[in-house]
Amino acid sequence: MQAEKSKPRNPTVSEKLRHLLISQEGVLFIIMLASVLFLATRTDKFLTVDNLLQQGRFMAEVGLIAIPMTYIIITGGIDLSVGSILGLTAIVLGWTWQELGFPLELAIITGIISGTVAGFVNGLFIVRVGVPPLIMTLATLALYRGLAEGISQARSARGYPEWFFQLGQGELLGIPTQLWLLIIAVVIFAIVLARTRLGRALYAIGNNETGARFSGLTVNRHLLFIYTFSGFMSAVAGYIFVSRVSTTRSDMGTGIELDVIAAVVLGGTSIFGGTGSIPGTIIGVVLIQLLKNGLVLTGVTSDATIVVIGSVLIFAILVNNFIQRKRDES
Amino acid sequence: MTDALLELRGIDKHFPGVLALKDAQFDVRRGEVHALIGENGAGKSTLIKIISGVYQPDKGEIWLDGEPVAFSNPRESHSAGIATIYQELGLYPELSVAENIFMGHAPKTKRFGFETIDWEAMERSATALLADLNIDNLDVGAKVGALNVGNRQRVEIAKALSLDAQILIMDEPTAALTESDVEQLFSIVRLLRERGVSIIYISHRLNEVFELADRVTVLRDGEYIGTQAVPETSEAELISMMVGRTIENLFPKQAATIGDVVLEARNLHHPPLTRDVSFSVRAGEIVGLAGLVGSGRSETAQVIFGVLPAESGEIWLNGAYVKITRPSEAVNHGIGYVPEDRGHQGLIREMTIRENTSMAVLESVSKRSFISRAKERALANGAIRQLSIRATGPDQITNKLSGGNQQKVVVSKWLASKPSLLIMDEPTRGIDVGAKAEIHRLMSRLAAEDGLAILMISSELPEILAMSDRILVMREGRLVGEFKREEATQEMIAHAMMGASATANSVGAVV
Repeated sequence: MQAEKSKPRNPTVSEKLRHLLISQEGVLFIIMLASVLFLATRTDKFLTVDNLLQQGRFMAEVGLIAIPMTYIIITGGIDLSVGSILGLTAIVLGWTWQELGFPLELAIITGIISGTVAGFVNGLFIVRVGVPPLIMTLATLALYRGLAEGISQARSARGYPEWFFQLGQGELLGIPTQLWLLIIAVVIFAIVLARTRLGRALYAIGNNETGARFSGLTVNRHLLFIYTFSGFMSAVAGYIFVSRVSTTRSDMGTGIELDVIAAVVLGGTSIFGGTGSIPGTIIGVVLIQLLKNGLVLTGVTSDATIVVIGSVLIFAILVNNFIQRKRDES
Repeated sequence: MTDALLELRGIDKHFPGVLALKDAQFDVRRGEVHALIGENGAGKSTLIKIISGVYQPDKGEIWLDGEPVAFSNPRESHSAGIATIYQELGLYPELSVAENIFMGHAPKTKRFGFETIDWEAMERSATALLADLNIDNLDVGAKVGALNVGNRQRVEIAKALSLDAQILIMDEPTAALTESDVEQLFSIVRLLRERGVSIIYISHRLNEVFELADRVTVLRDGEYIGTQAVPETSEAELISMMVGRTIENLFPKQAATIGDVVLEARNLHHPPLTRDVSFSVRAGEIVGLAGLVGSGRSETAQVIFGVLPAESGEIWLNGAYVKITRPSEAVNHGIGYVPEDRGHQGLIREMTIRENTSMAVLESVSKRSFISRAKERALANGAIRQLSIRATGPDQITNKLSGGNQQKVVVSKWLASKPSLLIMDEPTRGIDVGAKAEIHRLMSRLAAEDGLAILMISSELPEILAMSDRILVMREGRLVGEFKREEATQEMIAHAMMGASATANSVGAVV
């Protein structure tokens, strides 16, 4: 097809705005606003500062793991083991502190290192042995959870000192501590993905891994890094989890991988790789969390809540597909 | 024009931002082979997609057998007797030959009161259909996935005929075939013509047009240029119709001063397709690497580029020993590789020209790992100007470009990395005549003016002979011949490619 010769010109402000509104993230944001407004009319307990901050507390763990998950899904991979890594980290933290007598600071570091190593092992097998990410992380989903259960022997660790709860239950300038962490991480890693060589490489790998390799990009190193990063962020989420609920159990984080993946995909990241963004993912995380909370507050039973959330997911994806298709045509 | 079986008149087709066809016309008579040629982007694909019902024209008429028709989807065109054999074959690899041929219209029988597929009748009819095409060496029970490309294409043809197609559209049918498969395809096409089947034949290779077609229609930039009876035209005339200008020199080769040795490969070994390979390439020199498909040319290139790291042997670059175990190391040592498979290896097609041209030099367009869009854009704009890439701008998705322009993007990616050695694997395969000449001119200039060392792999002997200062020939993973530019002839090279057992006939087929 012949390309038309046209002079490039700078888009006007209204064009930019229009572009933003019909972008993947823009559409999702509008759906989120609509849901919030609707829920606010149903109950006056929903749209309050206290409630929203409380929800921020709850979404930190999913949000932190959703960042590396976005990276991984952009490369066309997946990490199903994040929930198990979270659980393993929590158990290692509690066990080394209570059973081995580590100082709590050292126990926290040991826990986070264990989770990071767990992610590194995922990456190593995926890159070196060539195990598909789905298979590898499905295997370690079971393996890491099994390890956690084996170490904990069904005992839970509690009785942490007061300072330990600062991260999970405390506040900083009136905002939950872990929400600060999430906000900082989101800003940093959104910029990394959108602006740096690492981000560019991830998109290239997701669109065409062979092409990326043939362009001299170090594909394996990048993949190894993101699975390790995923282990690290899951471990941090594990620490926050323990700090928030004041106890350590081996079933912590069970099923969180599905919440994370749902948020990432809802946020416009293609499950086949190549496209996606951190802002989209975060809107996905927030939308799901607010729906869950708002529906419970309006008195919808919990099983009905799941049905509504599922429906909203499908609706959002349909609307988005429709708008993106229209946009590609024009 | 009255005896036309199919006739298209005044066809217009718009796509967003592009007028793909403008007042195009085309007709096919009963029992003729009508070639459709034009550069990439000339509108050939759009035209056949309109005939096969994939697209609907914005304006114009289609007449079939004296009746006006309008196809709103491929199924309608199918049932009107028009079958298309696309470049990417549409077969089911896990099913048998017979199942593929009768996909969707298998013979049925009643068994225990249920309608079931009559397997025996299906295999019998499939065998008969193939025999009808003088194909007797194909097992109808074999899985299609296990067949080679030539046989798969025969299955496609049989499938089309099982639907009683009167018009067969073949889109670059020889692009992926070996020489003997091409011969067999030609005899099938001639057989069908004798039986009164009309064939629309799209090809880049003019020699095929002269060998096979009765008439030829040329499109350029979406416009109908003209239709000629093949015996009354010449290659030069068709080329000037296609490009709208006469190309005096298809292979412009400038005299270059040959400098120091840039690449020296010593006993490179990566069996089965690279065995004890030693050669050198000097600055300003274009070394042509010839050989049959599967002789190990691309594999040798990939050993040097680190895709298939050498098991033994040494690579020396500019007088220093280097160890290359992955492409990133090759890039750091100043090697560029324009690969054979443009869409899969050369480009990230979903990404923009800007992102592709900077792919191998991300470090130099970034500051502390932050990519500078401005630097990238400058780089891409420079490439668009320097290689005259036809595009809307640096932010156009490369997938939307024509083949020749895509190839220019791949080349510009490597030029941006300022290599001392550029390996070009089939640099002009599947691109149109105009772009081909531009790429050749560029290669000449890079060698002569910038002193770049170029290793060019090509299956086209005229290209090898015209562009190379020195020619290497590979066979079964080994280097089996080396010729100077002055002494080389097509026969000598073809002979070396085929080995001692080659007959005069098969040498002719390669040429």
